[in-house]
Amino acid sequence: MNSPILWIHGEALGPANPALQAFPGRPAVFVFDETLLSGPGSRPVSRKRIAFLYECLLELPVTLRRGDVAAEVLAFARRHGADGVVTSAAVDPRWARLRAAIAAQLPVQVLEPEPFVCLGEPADLRRFSRYWRLAEPLVWAGFSRFSS
Amino acid sequence: MQPPPVATANQAMPSGKMASLTGVPLAWKPAPGDLPRQFASREALDDALASLFPEADAGLSPVRGGRAAAEAQLARIQPARYGKSRNFLDGAITRLSPYIRHGVLTLAEVRDAVFVRTRERASSEKLINELGWRDYWQRLWRQLGDGIWADCEPLKTGHGPERYAAALPADLGAGRTGLACMDGFIAELYATGWLHNHARLWLAAYLVHWRRIRWQVGAAWFLRHLLDGDPASNNLSWQWVASSFSHKPYIFNRANLERYSGGRYCASCALAAAGCPFEASYEELQARLFPAASV
Repeated sequence: MNSPILWIHGEALGPANPALQAFPGRPAVFVFDETLLSGPGSRPVSRKRIAFLYECLLELPVTLRRGDVAAEVLAFARRHGADGVVTSAAVDPRWARLRAAIAAQLPVQVLEPEPFVCLGEPADLRRFSRYWRLAEPLVWAGFSRFSS
Repeated sequence: MQPPPVATANQAMPSGKMASLTGVPLAWKPAPGDLPRQFASREALDDALASLFPEADAGLSPVRGGRAAAEAQLARIQPARYGKSRNFLDGAITRLSPYIRHGVLTLAEVRDAVFVRTRERASSEKLINELGWRDYWQRLWRQLGDGIWADCEPLKTGHGPERYAAALPADLGAGRTGLACMDGFIAELYATGWLHNHARLWLAAYLVHWRRIRWQVGAAWFLRHLLDGDPASNNLSWQWVASSFSHKPYIFNRANLERYSGGRYCASCALAAAGCPFEASYEELQARLFPAASV
């Protein structure tokens, strides 16, 4: 991918966003998702939430759009003659569906954000205590970098 | 690698009322339909959003978005005091959740900021543990997908799912239950888009167990307003309260609420002297709310 555009989403609105870090200066777009704006339980999300996102986005080099996310990202890519889309991994299952819709028309590269902890094995998530028994010593192993 | 530039227009003016809100400049041309990135003030942003998103409930939160605000908040964390006081409404909580939820700060960045402020591991274990909860909920969401809106396990309340109402009652939606604590929490939710974790648990327990409303109704209500709302932490915490993701339903009583709120609500509540629905022992409440429960 020589001239990609960057797709920024609501789980990575900071400078640690790996797409912004890997391709500084490339055209980037964030789309206020019409479906998410319509809100859970068929009542729209409040302006408080939109304004908070907006203030985060003003501090990032990113074009702001509203509408159908996949269509807007693809149109942005066409306007910039992009040969692909770079984004960062998200947890929301809606993101995976949007990524697939975009990938049907343009290559999509997904970069992983820095994790809180690498477990190295599939975790038992039935209760927090089981996860934390595995994760806690691994998290604290990193403390030695700060305590010497 | 060089991080992208961060706008600094408002850093010197904490109130932000007169400062302009200028987005970082873009190195490419705008196109028709692009949303604006320049505002004369925060009020101008509010006005613009009112016309751009007319369907959304009005009002801005005093909590500001952005990396500059996030870093200022991160500089205030006190891990040891957090561990001792976090359950109190006036405790040394971090208020980082909106920034973490939207990746303005990553959990890894917050973890490292805690480590920098840690001399002895024990004093920071509680805060690191709470970051772990966030990571845990995210991992579960990845596993559950859209199933996060369904009961993870059967309820342990003795009431079938059909016994819970499917809509938010008007008095709750309006913040006029007559209970000073609950109405106070709802007013704060609407005004700020943020609630202390303990207040969330109390309001959720009241909605699900005292008013017997489906947890999904409350979860959707919170997600519309909470700046940090995401289906992972939010829905799974509601399920934890409801008992579809725990061994028993979460309840509280007046003594608990009064202690951790410093009595601020009971002092002005019309029901403080008589009629408080939370004024009972846990055993009495258990029997009253869950008479058919097997535990």
